[in-house]
Amino acid sequence: MSRAIQIRVSESVVRTVHVEDGVQSQLEMLPILARERQAELLAKELEQQGFQRDGKIARRKDPDGIEVTVDLETATVTVRLAADADLSESIERRANVGVERREEAETSLRDDVMRDLDERLAQRTEALRKEVTQRLERKLGDLRKELDEAVGRATVAALTEKAASLGHIESVVTDDAGNVAIKVKL
Amino acid sequence: MTIDREPDIEPRDAPRDAAPVGDDDAWELPQVAASEHDIIMMARTLVLGPAAQDDIWSLLCASRPVAPKIGPTCVALLEDTLRHAWRALWMRGGARPGAWIGTGARAGTAVRGRLWERHAPAPLPFSAASLELLRWLVSTPFAAPASTLPPLPARPLELGDQLLVYLTLDAARTTPALRVLAAQPFVRAAPLAWLGHAAALARSSEALPGPEFFDALTRGTGAIVLEALSAELARRWYAAELAKRGMFEPDALIAVGAAQDQVLAGFMASCDAAHRRDLALFILEAAAPLQARNLPPTPVHLDPDTRLSLRAQARVAAGALIRAVVRWGAWDQQHRGVRFIDDDYAAAQLLLERFEAIGAAGVERAAHWLADLASLVPTTPTSDTVTTP
Repeated sequence: MSRAIQIRVSESVVRTVHVEDGVQSQLEMLPILARERQAELLAKELEQQGFQRDGKIARRKDPDGIEVTVDLETATVTVRLAADADLSESIERRANVGVERREEAETSLRDDVMRDLDERLAQRTEALRKEVTQRLERKLGDLRKELDEAVGRATVAALTEKAASLGHIESVVTDDAGNVAIKVKL
Repeated sequence: MTIDREPDIEPRDAPRDAAPVGDDDAWELPQVAASEHDIIMMARTLVLGPAAQDDIWSLLCASRPVAPKIGPTCVALLEDTLRHAWRALWMRGGARPGAWIGTGARAGTAVRGRLWERHAPAPLPFSAASLELLRWLVSTPFAAPASTLPPLPARPLELGDQLLVYLTLDAARTTPALRVLAAQPFVRAAPLAWLGHAAALARSSEALPGPEFFDALTRGTGAIVLEALSAELARRWYAAELAKRGMFEPDALIAVGAAQDQVLAGFMASCDAAHRRDLALFILEAAAPLQARNLPPTPVHLDPDTRLSLRAQARVAAGALIRAVVRWGAWDQQHRGVRFIDDDYAAAQLLLERFEAIGAAGVERAAHWLADLASLVPTTPTSDTVTTP
């Protein structure tokens, strides 16, 4: 008859995880002037919104960590949020086994514990990722509005420039709906 | 219409059951083995389609071992059944009068009339592959778990075989058998199956062959088959667009969109090369009612627990048919440039007339939908309570 013993396995793990999510979209810029000139006008508008220009890229990092990048040449906007976290988990588990199965049982128990640890970390990583996604999603509505307004102003500037190249601008009238009427004397 | 008799058909000196019994008016019913009966019933159900009295799901669930060869009586009955394939095509839209671009001596002109008035009789070839498909359908218990079912390997398919695959998918489209069928290499090797059921055949990261994959459908008898199926294809694609609005899993929507994109791009390129852009008119017919009811393919509710990047990708993928409409818009511009003295003037006029179902305003709206699908925050779809007519 074998003697029963209790084995105890304790494992802990600390892991640094990086999660990120992002979305890319095209800004709707009407082709009014040469692409380079339109990029300049858009850059100017974006700089007024706190973007910093780096060559053909305008970039802004908001206090909440969301990074907005606009490729001025292709009018492509990329919104991205990343987060890092140090996750730690520990598990202690006991089991009663016959003394002759001690080594085998301990190995099996340790495997189970490690698997559970991995699973817990994966769940926490996924939860962190969902949080990042939700934060990003909440921001997108306001961001779209802000970028649409910037594009609108850049478009009006491009139209005004185009009109000026055609003749003498007599008046520029903007209504509440954002419609712009430019009167040009040829 | 003939069936390749090798290697599955048992040779016999004479049909054992179909002979007259003395009197010219008194004929004995042909007799076949039970499994042969099931094969014939399966073929009849598929060819008759909606007009068939048999429940396709019951037929697919009832499996029966089939003999390695079939007898000459079964062959004769099977040939007789498949001979009705043209009739099936008439019933599915070929009987409606229509105008299409002519081929051969009438290339570049508009030919009007019913299918049989526009074209001289043409053979619809079936090969032993059709028999192989029917035997597999009869012997496979579709109610069993999919992993336990024997696969149906790919093989070269004649046009008739492709039509039988299309009819099979069509008959099974509302049953659980559709997923099993769509996974078979045999089915996936049929361009007509992709054209009619791209969403069902969609799988993630699978690339279709180039436009030449569809060449058999845009030339010769294949083009006649497509003319007959055009209205039905439009209805299938319309239904697929509505189904996309209800999809929840971004991964599934990405796979469907990618498959549809490849099918439409490949098919339109093949039509273009064959000077048969009219064969792609079903795209406009599918998109027109969506535009009339302001129903973009924007999914109403994608899984909110998935990554935003994945959901954005899925929304972009959903615009496959709309991208094809925009390509049609570019074609339309070319048709407007065809002059009266040009050879293709009549064909161009026909295409211009048919394009009016969408028109320039429709292309503009399609471009707007695509921009909305790709925007940071897409607008909510106008309605999520649409039923397929």
